[in-house]
Amino acid sequence: MELAHDRILNTATAVGSRSASRRGLLRGTAAIAGGGALALAGVPAFRGLTSAAAQEFDGPVDVLNFALTLEHLESAFYRDGLASLGAEAFTALDFQPGVFDYLSEISANEATHVETLTAVISDLGGEPVEEQAYDFGDAFTDAEVFLTTAAALENTGVEAYTGAAQFLIEEDELLTAALTIHGVEARHAAYLNILTGEDPFPESFNPAATPEEVLEIAGQFFADNADATPEGDDEATPDA
Amino acid sequence: MRPMHEQFLETILEGRARLASRRRFLAGSAGAGGALALGLVGAPRLAAAQDDATPEAGTEFESDVDVLNYALTLEHLEFSFYRDLLPQFEDELGEDPFGDSIAERIATIRDHEEEHVNALTATIEDLDGEPVGEAEYDFGVTDAATFLATAQILENTGVSAYDGAGAAIEDPDLLTVAGQIVAVEARHAAYLNLVNGVIPFPAAFETPLTPDEVLAAAGPFIVAEEATPEGDDEGDATPEG
Repeated sequence: MELAHDRILNTATAVGSRSASRRGLLRGTAAIAGGGALALAGVPAFRGLTSAAAQEFDGPVDVLNFALTLEHLESAFYRDGLASLGAEAFTALDFQPGVFDYLSEISANEATHVETLTAVISDLGGEPVEEQAYDFGDAFTDAEVFLTTAAALENTGVEAYTGAAQFLIEEDELLTAALTIHGVEARHAAYLNILTGEDPFPESFNPAATPEEVLEIAGQFFADNADATPEGDDEATPDA
Repeated sequence: MRPMHEQFLETILEGRARLASRRRFLAGSAGAGGALALGLVGAPRLAAAQDDATPEAGTEFESDVDVLNYALTLEHLEFSFYRDLLPQFEDELGEDPFGDSIAERIATIRDHEEEHVNALTATIEDLDGEPVGEAEYDFGVTDAATFLATAQILENTGVSAYDGAGAAIEDPDLLTVAGQIVAVEARHAAYLNLVNGVIPFPAAFETPLTPDEVLAAAGPFIVAEEATPEGDDEGDATPEG
């Protein structure tokens, strides 16, 4: 019985470790090594996920809030970045005007994901995580940095959904819904890979990331002093 | 318990409808009315299938092996399509809008599909199942344009198939692997949309399809169940000929 999974998982795992280097590329920028995860520790939805037990979610709402955290990050990134850069920044890079339109469509997709996940979490009686303060460095003034960052966010998003899907295995409808978002993130990732001169489909099996691995990458974009003051949440004293 | 899920799906459908109008705006050009939805121009059955877009996720399958064989059926279809037809048209495919060789990109896609076929086959065997074999196909492809259009249909349908079947998988590890495959199919689909002049991400959500709906889209390509019958007589073992 285990043989089966071993085989296919081995393939997948080999792929996963290869992608780690791709990630290294991004992290490369600064001495953010540990700081990223730390910044996130202050974000309620992530508390607990940063612990060693990161493989486990505390129910479907947690999984959805994990997804929502990333969707907020993406949505804010495109919304603010595209507004700041404008279409000209991309034509200046010799892209066709349609590229900006497509990026705007991605932005709209992410906003829809945020809206939907927020509504679902509320309906499940959960408290949807809110948008945080982010810091995308030069991405809002330099279109090339913007695209590299976008590619990182999208590829990470795909890996995050791929890794987290199994925690919705008991919730068929939520799982299906998550999968329908997951595929769209993969489409975005493919497109952004192209825009950044990368292979749109670099592996035959997309790597899957644990929440911890996702945090390492996404964490660097959370502003250090992310005003992580959720409305009425007072589990505000961290274990420290 | 139900209402929230319904609401979820409702939201998704609403989102889809909203995007559809935006898409129409973007696509601007023609009276491309309904077919736009999946970018599946030329796949009327699929377009119709989305109208009742809430398939009962995962009710059709008896076991994980069933799901994997379903996936394998589609991977066979995709792999043989590229394997057999890419050589015929590779010289005519030209470059994509970003100056890269379409034939080279598609060769990568073909290799991915082959790896999916091999991995799924091995996994099904390890699970003591009987992996479905390659069938006999007729894609009706006559030139480079229909080759690219058919590839687009196959990839987009593949994503919808995996998304519709994912919930039926019981083993978490297998679910993860299915997720790893479907993400790659979605990347392929995005690229094939692009080279066919369609937005790579036509909606904020994928459209999960039931096996019946997928069959309606992929079925026409399948001419006979087994390319080379292996003495298996589970059914009408005598084909027409």
